[in-house]
Amino acid sequence: MEPVLLRARGVPNSRHIDTYLAAGGYEGLKKALTMDPEAVTKEVLDSELRGRGGAGFPTGRKWTFVPKEHPGPKYLICNADESEPGTFKDREIIEYDPHLLIEGIAIASYAIRANTAYIYIRGEFVRWARILETAIAEARQRDILGASVMGSNYRLDVWVHRGAGAYICGEETSLIESLEGKRGFPRLKPPFPAVVGVFGKPTVVNNVETLACVPSILTRGAAWFASIGRPRNTGPKLYCVSGHVRRPGVYELPMGVTFREIIEEHCGGIRDGHTLKAFFPGGSSAPVMTPDQIDVKADFDACAEAGSMLGSGGVIVLDDSVDMVEAAANLAHFYAHESCGQCTPCREGSDWAMDILDRILEGHGRPEDPATLLRICQYASQGMTICPLGDAFALPISSIVKKFPYEFERHIAAATPRPPKKLPVLPWAGPRPGFDGQ
Amino acid sequence: MPKVTIDGTVVEVPAGTNLIEAARQAGVAIPYFCYHPYLSIVGQCRICMVEIEGAPRLAIACATPVTDGMVVRSETSARVKEARDAVMEFLLANHPLDCPVCDQAGECLLQDHSFTEGRDTTHMVETRRTFPGLERRLLGPHIVQNQNRCIHCSRCIRFTQEISETAALTYKSRGNHAFIDTFDGQPFTDPFSACTADVCPVGALTIREFRFRKRAWKLRSTPSVCPGCSIGCNLWIDHHERTVYRFTPRENPAVNATWLCDFGRFLAESLNETHCLHPLHRVEGQLHRVSWGEAMRALALDVSAARTLRVVASANLSNETLFLARELFVRHLKGELVVPVHPGEPRRMKNGKGEWLYSRDAHPNSEGARRLGLELVDGERLARFLYGAADLTVILDPTAHPYLSTAEALQLLRVSPTLSLARTNHPTAEVASWLLPVASLASDEGTFTSSGGHVQRFQPAFSPAGEARPAWQILQLLARAMGVSALDLDSPAAVFAAMATKEKGFSGLEWERLGGGSPSTYREHQHVG
Repeated sequence: MEPVLLRARGVPNSRHIDTYLAAGGYEGLKKALTMDPEAVTKEVLDSELRGRGGAGFPTGRKWTFVPKEHPGPKYLICNADESEPGTFKDREIIEYDPHLLIEGIAIASYAIRANTAYIYIRGEFVRWARILETAIAEARQRDILGASVMGSNYRLDVWVHRGAGAYICGEETSLIESLEGKRGFPRLKPPFPAVVGVFGKPTVVNNVETLACVPSILTRGAAWFASIGRPRNTGPKLYCVSGHVRRPGVYELPMGVTFREIIEEHCGGIRDGHTLKAFFPGGSSAPVMTPDQIDVKADFDACAEAGSMLGSGGVIVLDDSVDMVEAAANLAHFYAHESCGQCTPCREGSDWAMDILDRILEGHGRPEDPATLLRICQYASQGMTICPLGDAFALPISSIVKKFPYEFERHIAAATPRPPKKLPVLPWAGPRPGFDGQ
Repeated sequence: MPKVTIDGTVVEVPAGTNLIEAARQAGVAIPYFCYHPYLSIVGQCRICMVEIEGAPRLAIACATPVTDGMVVRSETSARVKEARDAVMEFLLANHPLDCPVCDQAGECLLQDHSFTEGRDTTHMVETRRTFPGLERRLLGPHIVQNQNRCIHCSRCIRFTQEISETAALTYKSRGNHAFIDTFDGQPFTDPFSACTADVCPVGALTIREFRFRKRAWKLRSTPSVCPGCSIGCNLWIDHHERTVYRFTPRENPAVNATWLCDFGRFLAESLNETHCLHPLHRVEGQLHRVSWGEAMRALALDVSAARTLRVVASANLSNETLFLARELFVRHLKGELVVPVHPGEPRRMKNGKGEWLYSRDAHPNSEGARRLGLELVDGERLARFLYGAADLTVILDPTAHPYLSTAEALQLLRVSPTLSLARTNHPTAEVASWLLPVASLASDEGTFTSSGGHVQRFQPAFSPAGEARPAWQILQLLARAMGVSALDLDSPAAVFAAMATKEKGFSGLEWERLGGGSPSTYREHQHVG
C-alpha cells in the first residue's frame, strides 16, 4: 500500500508548506470549503473512520453529536498528548508532515463549525510543539488559516497548547480541564464534551492520526478510504512496534493486517535466539496477547473479539527473556504514578497492585497474591472509575496474571517470608542503666 | 414527577433529583463519602454504586438523576454489596486504624460505614502509605490536618471553591500521594475555614478549638440560632453536662444551608461564661445576695414608685422578651424604652441557593425590635437618652451597646437607681443597685427575627447556671409581682401566642412550626438531645 499518513517520511524538507502544497496538500480543505459542513461530516461518516486514539469511536458520529443550533463558540481539540507507553505514531506525523495534521484540523473544524482549534500537545514534545508553531505560522502567512481560510468567509485560528506531562491529560475530559488551566482531573460523563466541553462549549476531541486521515478522505473520497481494510475497520493505520523485534518502528499498513504480518514480515521477526512470549496489541493499556493469537487481525473488532483491544496501535513485543511478573510490575509502577487520585479504586488499587508485585519480585510473594491482584483489578475496572485509567491498569495486569500464572507460581514457590519490619528504637525505650536483667 | 423504585419502594421525586436523595425519601440509606447536598458532584469515592435495571454496569447514585420508571437496587443487590465491599477495602487499605485516638470517631462516615457494612479483615498486607510530617499540621488558625486519614473525597476543596470562594485548598501531588494543602502554602485563613472540618467525612481535618475536648457521642444537640449577627444562621448547640462545646451548622436552605462562619461558630465558648449567679441588691455601697422572691417584691415597689422610668433594651434579646418589656414598661408603666444598636463587622453567609447574605449588624434581633415598633438608637442617641433624668433605669442587657461600658455612661447611671440584668462581669455592675442573673442563649428559649425576615426559634439546651433565669421569665415574674396579670405568661410559647394575636409582624405564625430540628434536617450524624 502506498503510504497516506507517512507519505512525507523521507521526503526532503517535508515539513515546509511549499513541499506540502507541491504534493497536492490543502486540496482536501479547498474541496471541503466548497461543500456544506454537513456534507463533509457525511463523507467522514461514510468512510467509517474510527478514532485512532484508542477507543475507536466513529469519528463522523462524534462530529454529529455537536449541537448544530448551539449559539456561541464551538471548539475542536486535537489530542497530541501521546503518552501511552509503546505509542509514538502522532509524533511521527508531526515530525514529517505537520501540514497534513493542520489540514485535517481545518477540515474537522469546518465540519463542526468551530472557529478555534487547539492542539493539546504533550509537555515533553518540545521539538514537535515548535514544528507545529512553525507550520501554523506558515499556514497563516498563506491565508490557509486565519480570518479567511483559503479565501472563503470561514475563520479559523489554531493554537498549540503544551501540557505539563501528565498521562491522564490524554483522556479527553482531563485534557479539557488541563486546557482550561485546571488540574488534570477527568470529568464525570455525561455531559459529554460534544455538548459541554472546553469552557463549557461544545467540543470535539480527535487524535492526531484521526485528523491526519481526514484530508485524504476528502480528496480521494470515502469509498476509497472504506475500501482499505474491512467494513467498520477501514483506512490506513499506523502501527508502532517496539520491544524485542529486529526492526522496531512506525509502520503504515492497511487496517486489518495480522499481527504475524506486522511482527514477522515488517519488523523482521523476534531477535535472534529468542521466541515470542507475549505482545500488547495497542499500547500498555490493552490486555496482553499470547503467541497463539498472533494470527488475529490488527483491527478494532478483531482485537476486541480476541479479548483485547487495538487501542492506539502500539504493539509492544516481549520475547522469552521477559519475566512477566516484572513486566506487570513495570506497568503497575507507571499507572500508580499516573493515576490522578480522584477515584478510590484506581488511586488505591494501582498503588496496592504495585506494592504486591514489588514484593513478589523482592522474593516475598505469598500464595494468595495472584488472587488479590485479580480482585484489585476486577474492582478497579468495568465502570468502577470515572475515566478508563482504572481499566487501563487493571486489564493488562489481570491479563498477565491470568495468562501467565506459572510465572507467579515460580516466584512464589521460591519466596521467603518477609522479615518483620524493624521498628526504630525510641531513645527512651532502650535498656535502662541499672535495670537490664539485674 | 418521575416515579422510581428503590429496593422495592416506589417514590415520586422531582425530576433531576439524584438517586441518593431519592433513596433517602424511600427510606434507603445509600452510603457516600464525597457527595454533599450543597456541593457539586464529583463521583470520586465510588461507594454509592447502585444497580439500575437494564444497565450493564453499576452506576454511581450521586451522579445519576432519576428517570421515570427506573428500578434501582441498592441493599438488595449482591453485585452492589460486593462492589461496595471492594471500595471499602480500597478506602481502608491505607487508612490508619487509629479510631480510638481519632477525634472524628463517633461522627465519622468511614467509621460508620465500616462498622455497619464493612468487613473486619483485609487482603492488604503491604506497608501503609503515610504522609510524614502531615499527621498533625496546623493548616490555619482553626484547622488541624492529619493527611494520613484523608480519603481524597475533595469535599473541603470544593467547599473553598464553591461556597467560601477563596479556593484556598487544593490537591498537591498526584495519585495515592496526593494531599490537601493550601494554595501556595499560605495559612488557611478562610473566614469559613471550620466548615471544611464539618464536611470532612473522616478525621483528616478537625477543629483545633474542639478536638479532644469531648467525644462526639457524649454530646447532645439542641437547635438554636447564631447570636453573632443579623443573618440568623441556624445551628445546633452541642453540649454535655451543662457545658457548651461547640456550634455546628443546622440545615436551613433559606439562610445558611449547612454552613457557619468562623466568627459565629466560635461564639459557642462564650455561652459558658456565667459570672452572675444570684440576684444581688446594693445596700450602702455593698452588693448583698437576696432571693428572687425578696428581689421581686422590692423591685415591684421600686418600679411602680418610679415616676420617670427608662429602659435600655437590646437587639440581642428575643422577640418574646422585647414584647414583654414593651408591654410592661411602655404600655403599662408609661416608661421610655430604647433599643441601642451598633454596626458590627461585616458578616456574610451563603444560602442554599448560592446567594450571599450580608450583614453589618452585630445583633441577632434588630429586625424583631423594629417589627415590634421599638425605637432603635445609635450610641450618640443612647448617651442623650441616659443624660435625661429618671427615677429608675432598667438595663435589660448590659452588652447591648459598647457605650454602656464607658466611664461616661457609668457616670450617668450613677445618678439614679439602676436595675441591670447580667450574666457576665460588666462595668455596669459597679453602679447597679439591683443585679439580676440572666440565662445565656443556651438556657433561653424564644425567637429571633433575622434580617431576612425569618422568625426563627431557639430552644434551651440545659437549665440556667445558679439561680439565673431567662430574661423573659424575669419580666414575667416582675409583672406577676406587680399584679399585671395580663403579662403573667408562663412560657415563651404563651408570650409568642399573645404576640402573634397583637402584632402584625407575627400574625399567622405558630410557635410549633417555627423551625427547630426536624427529623428531615440534613445532618450526617444525629445526636439530638
